[in-house]
Amino acid sequence: MAAVDMPVAGGHAEDSHGDPHAPYLKAKSGIGSWLFTLDHKRIGLMYLAFVALAFLVGGVFALLVRLELFTRGRTIMDGETYNRFFTLHGAAMVFLFIIPSVPASLGNFFLPIMIGAKDVAFPRLNLLSFYVYLLGVAVLLFAIVSGAVDTGWTFYTPYSMQTGASVIAMTMGVFILGFSSILTGLNFLVTVHTMRAPGVTWTRLPLFVWGMYATALMQILATPVLAITLLLLSAERFFGVGIFDPKLGGDPVLFQHFFWFYSHPAVYIMIVPGMAVNSELIATFTRRSIFGYFAVAMSSLGLALLGFLVWGHHLFVAGMSEFATMMFSALTFLVAIPSGVKIFNWTATIYKGSVVLASPMLYAMAFIFLFTIGGLTGLFLGTLSTDVHLTDTYFVVAHFHYVMMGGTVIAFLGGLLYWWPKMTGKMHDEKKAKVGFWFTFIGFNVVFMPQFIMGSRGMPRRYYDYLPQFEIFHKVSTVGTWILAIGLFTTAYTLLEALFRGQTAPRNPWGSAGFEWMTDTPPCLANFHETPVITRGPYDYHLATPEELDTGWDKVKAQAQAKKD
Amino acid sequence: MNENAPATFQLPEQMSTLAPQVDWIYYFIFWLSVVMFVGIVSAMVFFAWKYRERPGHKAEPTGHNMTLEIGWTIAPVFVLVFMFHKGFEGYLNLSVAPANSMIVKVNAKQWAWEFVYPNGGSSDELHVPVHQPIKLVMDSADVIHSFYVPALRVKRDVVPGMFSMVWFEATHVGHDDIFCAEYCGGRSTGPGGTELPYAPSDDPLHPYIAGQATGHWSMHSMLYVESKEDFDKFLKSIGDPCDAYVNAGKDCPLKVAADQGAKLAQSKGCVACHTTTGARLVGPSWKGIFGKQESTDKGGVSVDEAYIKESILDPNAKIVTGYQGVMPTFRGQISDAELDEITAYIKSLKD
Ligand code: HEC
Ligand SMILES: [Cu+2]
Ligand SMILES: [Cu+2]
Repeated sequence: MAAVDMPVAGGHAEDSHGDPHAPYLKAKSGIGSWLFTLDHKRIGLMYLAFVALAFLVGGVFALLVRLELFTRGRTIMDGETYNRFFTLHGAAMVFLFIIPSVPASLGNFFLPIMIGAKDVAFPRLNLLSFYVYLLGVAVLLFAIVSGAVDTGWTFYTPYSMQTGASVIAMTMGVFILGFSSILTGLNFLVTVHTMRAPGVTWTRLPLFVWGMYATALMQILATPVLAITLLLLSAERFFGVGIFDPKLGGDPVLFQHFFWFYSHPAVYIMIVPGMAVNSELIATFTRRSIFGYFAVAMSSLGLALLGFLVWGHHLFVAGMSEFATMMFSALTFLVAIPSGVKIFNWTATIYKGSVVLASPMLYAMAFIFLFTIGGLTGLFLGTLSTDVHLTDTYFVVAHFHYVMMGGTVIAFLGGLLYWWPKMTGKMHDEKKAKVGFWFTFIGFNVVFMPQFIMGSRGMPRRYYDYLPQFEIFHKVSTVGTWILAIGLFTTAYTLLEALFRGQTAPRNPWGSAGFEWMTDTPPCLANFHETPVITRGPYDYHLATPEELDTGWDKVKAQAQAKKD
Repeated sequence: MNENAPATFQLPEQMSTLAPQVDWIYYFIFWLSVVMFVGIVSAMVFFAWKYRERPGHKAEPTGHNMTLEIGWTIAPVFVLVFMFHKGFEGYLNLSVAPANSMIVKVNAKQWAWEFVYPNGGSSDELHVPVHQPIKLVMDSADVIHSFYVPALRVKRDVVPGMFSMVWFEATHVGHDDIFCAEYCGGRSTGPGGTELPYAPSDDPLHPYIAGQATGHWSMHSMLYVESKEDFDKFLKSIGDPCDAYVNAGKDCPLKVAADQGAKLAQSKGCVACHTTTGARLVGPSWKGIFGKQESTDKGGVSVDEAYIKESILDPNAKIVTGYQGVMPTFRGQISDAELDEITAYIKSLKD
């Protein structure tokens, strides 16, 4: 292990950051080795730490909000505080957690390894994107907390302008965060185009990489709209140009168009990475290639494209022309096709596989279960006449939690358990992981199933209080959050326990044929000791050699036995 | 299709002519979803069990099945087109109000609703006659709100600076909640930052109490669907405060009658030509005219009740000197009671 002193900021991965052949966590030490690192793996881990923190913050606010709704009237907080708390929950979860979650953490860590590259194309840009993310977190949180913002994460005008709430500062925060994801996205695109190892053809690209690629495209194209919105808001605030404010002759509905022109693609920026993780999990734990690989890869791009054409479905009752309404409804239905294709192909992959029900596979199956519910309930909302009844009720709340949490978060957790040994070199306790899974899965359904029913019965969303006929549903839902919390804390404990006290993991603990498992666990600083030459696809179990697929558990067990004797 | 159903486990009672159509498509999607969900999840669980990893079992390398793949890409299109079509059809019915609709104006503000009826009267609860198309013309005084009545299956955003429209026809007598469905803030503190009390009531018709903390959640009102007779009674009750006295066999106090007269001067359009400030418009100002001598083309008259009534019902009988005979007659558009009230109003402008 080469011990080099303080790394020069801007140094290159191989030269100043330590021995390229040493495990990346040991190649260099000290706080500076993290703060100035150009290693995509360390940057991924730093993202992971902050993203996990954001999830914790968003989750605590969710628990408080649900606790308030446990009884009618005041339970633990007043109405104004409630409004601020659900705003913080939504903003933290959407902008600080889900959008960066998979791409910035798992994507940063695994995308280069999966294509046999040493790093991303622009390591310095990668580090910059992390600091830009932190800046965005600071600006957004400052805007929300100092302005006591109570507008919901959608900060619709004119309410957001009326309350003195700093809608401009908030949009600025979201834009800075978006700018960080532009940098990540750009990096991913160039990396995938130029840095694939020999033999990694486009048709051998892991589906995770395809998903990251589609996500990167959306991040680059959607975020600039936020900048335009920011400019318009500023022009209105500082020069009195009437754009969104009806008092100045502006149109508040226009703001909703701008907002969703970014935020609907953002929904796909959130879900496509989840789908990408899920494809990897299913391939590994069925020991076969994803059925319809090409269709699954293309459906990610299809979703990326359609994601830009359907923002108007958030405005069906807001006042759009009948023609626009009709077009947006029709386009929204098209989204069902690529989503359906993925679900069908995953299910068909399990058919005739060799299914290992390890904890990540449980998450993958839960993803199919929950995302199917999320997707099918989307049909009620794409259909115009039923949307009129259901929009802005708890039905919508349940629908998008089934997609965002039942989809992305579940896949993220599955991905974390799956790749934890690769990232940390430590194996977690499967028993605890499964207990955590079942609490999470059951708790999640107990939280959100009743919300569908109260929603279709007419309970509007974002209500501090409710009428007696909705009380039972709110009670059950709140109890669900406690079950869910037990599951999530158990999972967090399982991962941290592995990190600090876990058994050393063998190279390929799950017996996967994926490229990322073909190198050391944890990977060396340069990812591979020599540039790999790929001769098969990442899911070609029938072409992989027995040595490649060997889990290494036999050796670990033998060693443990030898120690005992 | 117009057979209205009571509440089911998933959907509230149907109270509008459009509700059955909405619910039909709701249940169509629901059962389609159930079939799809059960199919996918049971296949997944069954395969996971049947092809579980065990000694002697190996995964079969994945093949291709073009027919299957194209099949499940194309087949959903037909169902999706059907759903889209049904939904759009329902939406159009919702957008086009029948020509014979009664218009009620809705004013939304943080955090209350006001409904203004054709007779100029207003209330904070919405009363409508059964079997009569109602068209709501809605506007907001501050931020975006959304008018939502679950039993009608009707929802529409109320946007400041823009009139939005929604219509419905109630199918039977009854009542339901009116909610605000677009988040519009809230207030828990009174003037000086003191915390307002808050405790909702158990009265289903008035769940939230005035003077307490309020917000988006408590922007609640009631819809009452009434028989034609009850509705007319309601209109009368909000229309004219004098009725209460008259019904009790008493005279309407001058102050009450004059206030109502002032409203009528607005709603009947008199104020387009008459001021109460002394300023001259198309017609003479009403300020201080009562009891005065007025010169007309028929000679001098003193302005009393009879003269005022004549001026309204038969404006050209005597034309005030210096003015043109352009005032339209209001004969047939104004009731005797209203005539008295306007007269009382003009009388009250004496000094
Ligand atoms: C189109 C304009 C117009 C409208 C609308 C109108 N008026 Fe007149 N009104 C006039 C004019 C012009 C005169 C004077 C000529 C006349 O005596 O006919 C007048 C005269 C009168 C007079 C006599 C005033 C006097 O000084 O002797 C009364 C009383 C009166 N109007 C009441 C009403 C009432 C009540 C209404 C509403 C129900 C009404 N007007 C609506 C134009 C109008
Ligand atoms: Cu959307
Ligand atoms: Cu409101």
